[in-house]
Amino acid sequence: MSEEIKLWPGANGFLEDKDLARSIRQEKILPALDRGESVVLDFAKVNYATQSFVHALIGEALHKHRDAALGLLEFKNCSPQLRSLVELVVDYSLGGFATEQAV
Amino acid sequence: MLLQAQVDRLDACENRKPLIRRDSNVPKFVVPNSASLRNARSFLAGCDPFADTERPAVLELHPKWIYMEPYALAMIAAWGGWCRRHDLPVTVENIGRHANYAARMRLFEHLDVDYDPGLREREETGRFLPITRVQKRSEIGSVIGDVSALLHLDDDPESLAAVQYCVSELLRNVLEHSGSPEGAFICAHRYTKRQPHRVTVAVADCGDGIAAHLGRAHAAALADDRAALGLAMRPGITGALPGMYGTPDNAGAGLFITRSMAKGTGGYFFLHSGKAAYRLRRTPSHDEQLLLFVDAYDEDRHDSWVFDHAWFGTVVSVEIRTEHIADYEGFFQWIFRQIPGRRVQERRIRFT
Repeated sequence: MSEEIKLWPGANGFLEDKDLARSIRQEKILPALDRGESVVLDFAKVNYATQSFVHALIGEALHKHRDAALGLLEFKNCSPQLRSLVELVVDYSLGGFATEQAV
Repeated sequence: MLLQAQVDRLDACENRKPLIRRDSNVPKFVVPNSASLRNARSFLAGCDPFADTERPAVLELHPKWIYMEPYALAMIAAWGGWCRRHDLPVTVENIGRHANYAARMRLFEHLDVDYDPGLREREETGRFLPITRVQKRSEIGSVIGDVSALLHLDDDPESLAAVQYCVSELLRNVLEHSGSPEGAFICAHRYTKRQPHRVTVAVADCGDGIAAHLGRAHAAALADDRAALGLAMRPGITGALPGMYGTPDNAGAGLFITRSMAKGTGGYFFLHSGKAAYRLRRTPSHDEQLLLFVDAYDEDRHDSWVFDHAWFGTVVSVEIRTEHIADYEGFFQWIFRQIPGRRVQERRIRFT
């Protein structure tokens, strides 16, 4: 079994609605992962998203299920911007923020 | 066009200028001939907007000429909301044709002051987002749509996305964390006639302020407004938890990313709350733009001020120099790489 979720952006293909992210997280992603089912997040219509949106979407799932969540989450049709954003959120959600200089 | 060295000298002069202090107890904003980010220190020091709440409030405009940037407009509009909350009518002194830009930005509407500039309403498209009050998260999407429609950045999607990003993060900060009864006041201006080409976005509120918000989890924020600003600009700091992981809904990285967007394009970044203000000045070279610091006070080109009077809330202004976004092969990828992760292990993320 797997849950496929298509994400729909606003103007300019921009996705920032954290309330939407929260409801997807609570109603679809977390229950599916709790059941051990995979989740496909389809970003085909999205050009850009905020870090806050992606955090609200997957941050709690990563905290709760740790690396096992990565085995169940699939990120489909990500633009290069989205890909780097997902990598960022996964990284700090599993490892925390470092405190040294950024570059 | 000013050379960078001249700009640096002007900035240095501004930091040395004696501050005008107003000792009257009237809640007052004084708009000098220039309320720009470059003159932010003297503009802020000359105002005492939250003085005695028993006396009518005054907005005193320069009698002949005023130049106002979005941060000043957003602040005064937010203050107008605070005055309304305290049943203080606002009187505007020296209003006239030289204030027509402020009128077009709808400043006087937010102060409940009748002023007819006597001009035909001009099309806003392509120039600015007038001052807009946002009280609910559900309204943010329409403001982002207005940004897209009004600033005419359709041919530059990365710049448009950067502006949308800042609008979203700054508005959500206010609506989720400030406790401001009036919500947020936002405005933006796209400057294209003279270099540097840029979009400036400002958001102001008269809510709890950064120290009170972060102080719930970080005692250092309550002790010192300057320290509170420093914490707010670091990634991973939230008002909910003392740790570095955030909450299911907040990672505490919004101000770090918006600051990175300003620095990465060489633009101003400005943050003011309580008695403290922080300003990152424009960056003169691409090499310097690439050098970001987790601690905003480590930036060479920053100013940090502590004023006699506090701002009861928070003000943020971000300048995106749109001409520099094309310097990057993937501006957003570069921004997201600036957030320091631990990268403690190989991540196996499934992209398909």
